[in-house]
Order: sequence, then C-alpha cells, then structure tokens
Amino acid sequence: MKQLTFVVDLDRCIGCKGCQVACKLENTVALGEGRNKVCTIGPNGIYPDLQMYFLPVMCQQCENPSCVQVCPTGACYKDEDGVIQVDQSLCMGCGSCKRACPYEMIHSNKELRVADKCTLCVQARRDGDVPACVRNCSGSALYYGDLGDPDSEVSKLLSATDPSHIYQLRDFGNGPTTRYILRHDDWVDVLPQDCVEHSVHRKGGRKL
Amino acid sequence: MTAASYPSAIRMGKIPGLGSPGLVKKAAAEKQGDDVRVIKTACRACIANCGVLATVKNGRVVSLRGNPEDPMSKGRMCAKGLSGIQALYHPNRNKYPMKRVGPRGSGQWKRISWEEALDTTAKKLMETREKYGAETVFCSTGGGGNPEIWSIARFCNIFGTPNWFEPGCAQCYLPRVLAYTMMYGGVDPSIADSNALELYFPDDTPIKALVLWGTGPAWSCPASGGGMVADLRARGVKTVVVDPRFTPDAAKADVWLPIRPGSDVALQLAWIRYILDNKLYDADFVMKWTNLPYLVDVETKMLLRPEKSGNPDQPDTFMVWDKKTNSPQPLEYPWNDALDPALEGVFTVDGRRCKTGWQLLWERVEEYTLEKAAEVCWLDAGKIEEAIHVFTDNLPSGLSIGVATDQTPNSVQAAMAAATIDLLMGNVERPGALLQRFRTSGCFDMPNYPVPVAAGRLPNEQLKKRLGGRAHKGLGIWWAGHPSSILEAILTGEPYQPRVWIDRSGNKLGATADSQRWEQAIQKLDFIVHVYMYPTSFSAYADILIPAEEWLETDMLVETCNTLVARQQCTHLWETMDETLFWSKLAKRCGELGHEACAKAFDADYMGHDLPYWDSMEEFLDHWVNRLGMSWKEFAAKAPIEYLPKEQWRSYYVYQQPDPKNGGKPAGFPTPSKKCELYVESMITLGRTGRPFSPIDLEPADQDYDPLPYYLEPVESPLPDSGVAEEYPLALTGGRVPYYHHNTLRNIPWLREMYPAPELWIHPNAAEKYGIEDGGWVWVESKRGRTQAVAKVTQGINPGTVYMERFWNPETLNTPTHGWKEMNVNMLTKSTAPFNDVVGTYTLRAFQVRVTKADGAPDGVWLDPEDFRPWLPTPVQPTEEVRI
Repeated sequence: MKQLTFVVDLDRCIGCKGCQVACKLENTVALGEGRNKVCTIGPNGIYPDLQMYFLPVMCQQCENPSCVQVCPTGACYKDEDGVIQVDQSLCMGCGSCKRACPYEMIHSNKELRVADKCTLCVQARRDGDVPACVRNCSGSALYYGDLGDPDSEVSKLLSATDPSHIYQLRDFGNGPTTRYILRHDDWVDVLPQDCVEHSVHRKGGRKL
Repeated sequence: MTAASYPSAIRMGKIPGLGSPGLVKKAAAEKQGDDVRVIKTACRACIANCGVLATVKNGRVVSLRGNPEDPMSKGRMCAKGLSGIQALYHPNRNKYPMKRVGPRGSGQWKRISWEEALDTTAKKLMETREKYGAETVFCSTGGGGNPEIWSIARFCNIFGTPNWFEPGCAQCYLPRVLAYTMMYGGVDPSIADSNALELYFPDDTPIKALVLWGTGPAWSCPASGGGMVADLRARGVKTVVVDPRFTPDAAKADVWLPIRPGSDVALQLAWIRYILDNKLYDADFVMKWTNLPYLVDVETKMLLRPEKSGNPDQPDTFMVWDKKTNSPQPLEYPWNDALDPALEGVFTVDGRRCKTGWQLLWERVEEYTLEKAAEVCWLDAGKIEEAIHVFTDNLPSGLSIGVATDQTPNSVQAAMAAATIDLLMGNVERPGALLQRFRTSGCFDMPNYPVPVAAGRLPNEQLKKRLGGRAHKGLGIWWAGHPSSILEAILTGEPYQPRVWIDRSGNKLGATADSQRWEQAIQKLDFIVHVYMYPTSFSAYADILIPAEEWLETDMLVETCNTLVARQQCTHLWETMDETLFWSKLAKRCGELGHEACAKAFDADYMGHDLPYWDSMEEFLDHWVNRLGMSWKEFAAKAPIEYLPKEQWRSYYVYQQPDPKNGGKPAGFPTPSKKCELYVESMITLGRTGRPFSPIDLEPADQDYDPLPYYLEPVESPLPDSGVAEEYPLALTGGRVPYYHHNTLRNIPWLREMYPAPELWIHPNAAEKYGIEDGGWVWVESKRGRTQAVAKVTQGINPGTVYMERFWNPETLNTPTHGWKEMNVNMLTKSTAPFNDVVGTYTLRAFQVRVTKADGAPDGVWLDPEDFRPWLPTPVQPTEEVRI
C-alpha cells in the first residue's frame, strides 16, 4: 500500500529552521501558526560533555490516525497516497482532530476557521514537484517518498541504515510512519509540544 | 525524492515555467491573461549569493525557491532568503526620497522628488567641501542586502575624501583578508564570506579534517556553507569546532573546544608550539616553500638580502645558515639542493645578530604549552591535544577562521596564527586544502564586486588626511578609514571636524560599538543622509532618506565558483533606486555643481581602467559581461553560465607552475619572496610606510607592527588583575542566529515570530548565582551601558561566559529610544583603545558584563506573533524605474 511520508536524517539537520519559512511561504500559513517545527533536543549532559540535535516535526502520517477517527464530518481522511488530508469544504472547525493528534501537529486556519495541516505540499506534488521544506532544506536532511515501495529512495535509505539508528516519535497506537535517522547522538523520547524554542515563550504562549 | 535529485525534475520540465514552454503556456492558461515567469536570480539577504528561482506573476513576486544549478547552495534556501517577499513588500519600505521637516528625531518627514533629494545633498556636499575641505564629508556602509561594497569607497575617492568606513572592515573579515594576502597571497578560508570553495565539491575533495574556528556555517550561511559542512560530515570528514557556544556545528563536531572569548590567539600559539615541538609539520614544504629558514636581522627585523632583484617578477635572494659549511649562504629562488639550511638557530652574520624565522616563531610560542593554553582559555589540555591530532593526523586538512577573532583587538594576530597553522602543515594549493588560487572569470577587476574603487583618484594630500590612516595602515588594503578615529574627530574636532555623513546600512546605532557615543557625535553633524530599504534607528537622526532597492529589485553580476550568475530585477516598486546607481547620480550632480573630478568621472577616456560612471545599471553591467562577448540582457537570459568546467577552474599547485617571466622557475606565491611568509616581514614595511597598499609613503605608525602573532589578554578580562571582574564577572561573546544577517530583517514577521528578542545564554550555575531564571528578562550591563535580553539557561556555555545576539526593535522606531536602546548589545561594547595596531579593531566581544534580573520586557517591544501583523506584506503594483 502506498505510504508517502518523511524520512529525516537528523545527523544532517543543522537547526536553521528554513523549512518552517519555506512551508509558510508555500502554503500561506498564518502568523503564529505552523505546519512544521524544528525542535532543539538538548543540550543534554553536563558542560562540556554535551549532546544536541535538531528534530524537524510535522504530521507523522500515522497508520491509524486518531485525527481521522475523531473527525465528525469526514473532512479528515487518508488519501490514496497514504497522506492525511483535510477537505476544508467539509471541515466545520470543531477542533476534534487538533485535540486528538498526539503530536499537536494540526493547526487552525484562522481566516477560514478550519483545520490546517501538512499535506506534503499536495499542490506541488501534483505538478511533479517536491514539498517546499524538502526542496529548500539547507542540510539536505529531509527526504520524502513511498515507504510501500521498496525501490523508493526513502525505503532504500532506511534499508541501508543500521536499524538501531532508526527512530520514530512515541507511538500511542496511532503508528506514526515518519522515520528519523540518528547515528551519533542518543535519541530522546520527547513530544514536539514539550519543546519551547525561544526562551521568551518559556512561560507560556507560542511554541513554534 | 530529495532536494539533491530535484534537478532531474527541472530537466523533465515538470516545474511550471522552467525550461518548458509548454508548461509556461499551461500555467498561463490557468487564468487567461496571467503573465507568469520564473526568473533565475540570486539572493542578497546576507552576503552570500545563493541561487534563487523567483516566480513573478503579473509583475508581482509570488514565490521563491532555491536554484539547484547553484554550485554552492545547490537548490537550498534559508529562512532569511525565503523571507524575501516579506522584505520586498514590507509596508514600511522607504518608498520615495524624504526630507526631515521636524527637529532631528521627531520622525516628521515630507516626500520630495529625486531631483530635490540629489540637489539638496550635492549642494550640501559642495558647500562643505568649499568651506571645510572634502575630508569633512564621510561615508559609510554596512551589511544587509548590500549589493556591493566598493561604490561607497569609489564615490569618496572621486569626491576627494579619504574617510569611508564600515563597522565591518577591521571588525569583520578585513583582518583575515590582510593576513592571508600578506602571508601567501591567495584567498582566505572564510566560509561565511563564500570562500573555501574547494569544499563545495564533496564528491571530489580529499579533505579529511576541517577546523571551524570561531565560525558556525550552520547558522551564518545555512544554505551554502551550512549545507556544505553537513555534506562533508556525512562523507566522514572529521571536524573540530572552537567556539564558546555549543552551536549546531559544535554539537556535530568530533571535538568541541569551548574557548574563553578573546583568548583564541593563546590557543593558536599552543597549536603552533605543539606542531613544531612534535615535528608534525610538513618538513619539506616548510623548508622549501616558507620563509622560516631565512635569516632575520634581529635589530632591523628585516630579512638578510645578499642580492636585491629589482625586478618584480623575480624575488630577492635571501640568506640562510648552511649547516654543511656552517656559514651564511645566499639561497637563490626557489631552492638550492647543495645547501642544507638550518631551521633553528641564532647566528652572527657580518657582525649582525640573526635568527631564522623559525627560531623567532619558536621563541614566540615557546611558553604556550598545552597546559598554559588550557589555563588561559578555560579548556582541558587533553581535549586541545585531541583536537590538534584530528587536524594533523587527517591530511589534507584545513582551518577556517571566522569572524569571532575579528571582533577583538587580537584580530590580525589571530588571522596570522590561523594561516601559520595551515601553512605549517602544507595545507595550501593541494587538493583538499582551503587555501587556493582557483581560476576566475576575468569579468571583475575588483575583489568580489565589479565596481572599480578608483583608488588612484584620491589626491595624495587627501589620502594623508585619512582618519586613523597613519596608525592603522592595514585598513589601506580596502582603502578604508577607522571608525573610532572618525568618531573621536567628530566628538573632539581633532585633527579636524567631520561635518557631513552619508550612510548606507541597516542601522549604524545597532552595529557600531558603544552606540551612545555615536548618538552624541550625530548631534555635532551638519547634515546626514541615510540610504536604505527601510527607515532604521539611524534614519531618525537623518536629514534626507534615500529609498534603496531590495535584492529582488536589483541587477548585479555575481561569480559563484565556476559559474557567473545574474541577480536580476524581478520587479520594481515605488521610487526605489539601485544603490550602485545612486552614487553615480550623486557624483553627476556634484559634477554639475562644479566638482571637476566628479564631472570628469563620466569621461571614458579620462577614467580608463577605473571605468566612467554609469547612467543606468544596464550600462554598468554591459561593461563587465562584454568580456564574455555578451550584453547584460543576453547574459541575464542565459545565466547562470559555467565559465569554466570545474576541473579546469580548480587550479591546484599554482605555485609550482613554471613562470615564463622568471626563466621558467616555479611561479611561487604572490608575496615579496614568492614563499609563504610565516615571518611576515611585510608587516614591518607596512607599519613604517603604508606600502604596498598606499601609493605613497605615509608617516610611520607609533610602533612597528609585529611580524609574528602575539597574544593580548582582553582589556576587560575575567582575570582578577583586570580590575573589572569583581563588578562585571561574566565574559561576553556574540555570534549568529540563522534568522538575521547583521542588523537586518528585524522587521520580518516570519522571522520575528520565531526569534522575537535576543537571548542571553547563561550557564545554570551562573544563573543560580545571579538569580536568573530561564525565560526571564534580564539586564545586561557593562562599564558603558545597559540593555535587556531574555535569559536562556543552558549547559551549552561556560559558567564564566555569556552570549548575546545583536538586536534592535523597528517597532519602537518612533519612540524616544528610536528602537536601538532596548535590546542592543552595542550599548555595551567598547569603541576606544586598545585597538589592533595594524587595522584598528575595537572590542565587540570578550569584555565583561554583569547580568541581573529585570522586571519585564522593555516598553513597547513586540513579542507575540500577532504583534507583527502590521508588517505583513502589502500588495502593490510594480512601477517603472526612476529616470533622472
């Protein structure tokens, strides 16, 4: 079965957050909202023996997506590519999907009052293009492709990687398909919503 | 599919408008009458020139993406560049020329015509020149969307003032350019200045270890250098990072040395000592291709020259001590197998006490053992040794020195020591080395930018009046004045009173050290013009505002590795003008008002190699691309073009090529001896005369410049004897974040919502000691002033060090602070002596501060994403170019 998703080489992510702006430019995302986010994991340890890596997070394209299960109107669905989409003409903006996502990766389109999320840049893919975050990634850390196709670039990348270096976000039974490759640091089990990127937001407020 | 495989998608014509007329038609057909074009241009949100594909619909720029054809950025594009549309269509752009109608700082402006703006400015310049001398006019530039740097120096040279400056120059990049130019004559290894080009071909380069010293490409130039270093690491290249901050590159390094700010030269001297002492250097290269075996007269500090050549193509003959005959012997260039020169030793030649360059270098570094460096630099001796071995055991290797060391008075010494480390290892001009002289397109006569600086047009009597020009002769390599000397002259009237200032830059009050003193100086000036894309704090003090074009509005010729790129005008808005054209228009008006040199600057015969001034950008750019047999329009339609295949462009071992002008001997390096000059004898000549950068002999500096690197402890240091540590216990450093370049882009909603205020990094132990909590507002104070920041409590910094990012606040522009006092690290920095002797560097990092808890955020600053709504892009129709 076709399953488009991201595979992220964390050894290559340099924490520049260009992907966040690339996404906002491509998808006209509102101020204060974001379909993706780069989390700074660390520094962990005691100075000067430290580890730190950057974790780009976005919709994890779950196998059993809780957002789809709770959607009362059928607006939120998994398409033929395995990508979770929101049909905004059916969405009534109830926020159920947003609350159901264990990674808080569904946001609001404040103007249309509907759910908004990563579509793997469906409009770009229709034109044979790749998602905006992938094509602009300064570290060339982001890959996307079909996990269901053993010959896809992402499948080959994963099969060439030591399985002990392949991670996923915490699985609550939803089966996230996004895969993270981390060879040189210790994986930290953390959820995106627990990562506050700028100190000024430490005491609440925006978490992007 | 990855970004790397993206070019195939372009070749297949899958992207609308990319090389596939059919798809352009299809895109256009989507809505009848839409004109959709994809323009291949180059970014200028920082000083890199990353390739960009800009989609322009009906004259409006609607989308940006990296251009995979770019050999450095390879289709990658960072947050700064991708924000280009928010910058271009910012509602607060400078749209028309304006003149001040209220008191200075009142923020009351009136729109005027271009004619009036140029006329008023030129008349004031001419009147000032007439009454007080041309030298009382000064100009400045600075980073941030700067299309090119030399226009400012050119205008000054032609107008007749020796005083232009940058808060960059001695504080940013010039020390490194100077040291590498004098020591081996090729390009310096600064990644953030788009050098170290060897590394952008990761499949080809044999480099095995890279030292990133005071540079963090991941955050200073993510799409080019950041991505490149990621490519190298993925191929197994080992890295060492020397940085007080635990940056992304530090986190991914094999060894991180979290050095005490400002102590870099002490660590470098220890590296040199260790390499010499353990014989880790390239012995053959050091003997045959450096000047270390040459004998130096310890009294005159000059090399012994048994024979002077008198021919610039042939070096002088120098003296060595021959061990075979135990006597001094002339060593004719390039080498004599019959001799066995001594590297070490003290000798007497004709009654004169002499030492080899090697001996002098050893004496300089001898006290810097690993243990001593560990103590001075707050490091672990074992880690230092491990780092040195990563570099020396994995050849070829390379050391890229960044801006950090340019920001303290140790600037030139640090660059000299960095060059010494690479050259001792023979890391020069071999495959894998950072120090290279690759071929160039020949389309430029100047370094990096096409505008000819016309240095010879400055009358010699005016050159002698350059403020700081006698003391800091190294600035002559860029024909520049010394910022602090200009500041002192304004404040004291000595040696004369500067009166008129034309500045093109983001915000001088955000960028210059100890900005409060500049505010005092500004009150003493008769007339100020500010040229920029937006009003900044500096504009509040100006008399005339000139609207400059954003990078998406400009044309410029750019050389990127073996390609030539056209930055192309994608649209044009309001009455903005290309800065490269503005200076030409101003010179023209001065000429019309009777300035003879400005009038003659439009005469092609008179200007010759210096190029006459231009009436349009097309005329200017035609001149350079004519060398390719094309007009600018033809070139822009084809660009980017590969001017040489990469194999031919990467010319290795240039110094070994036979030189027909010197009897077929090896060409050597472009230094006076044609050897790598680790004993930098030319520093002595420079200090005494200004040559080779000055066309005339200048009065000598107070003291000779030192031909070898030496360590100066920061004047305000954490050591008990500095006298400030008790009151100001923490050493401050600076450094980049990936959202801003210098003082730019603080008005961009997408960037400010991510990084709304400067962070102050502080270690948990220090935070506890001073009552600071994570995420809390703090005051940061130095002997000069105080400002605010948000505390980030992190293990990623030494307990004795803090880091603060530069900042200013466009949202408080029209308040009494004018936006530059709330969160500006340059309220704290030091603009006074000690300076670096050679180039006059002042203290932007490595000084002492104290940090205390603040009650809250400064008044009026924007922190919430919604706050930035007033700055979202405003739709606007394109306009015709201004024609005057």
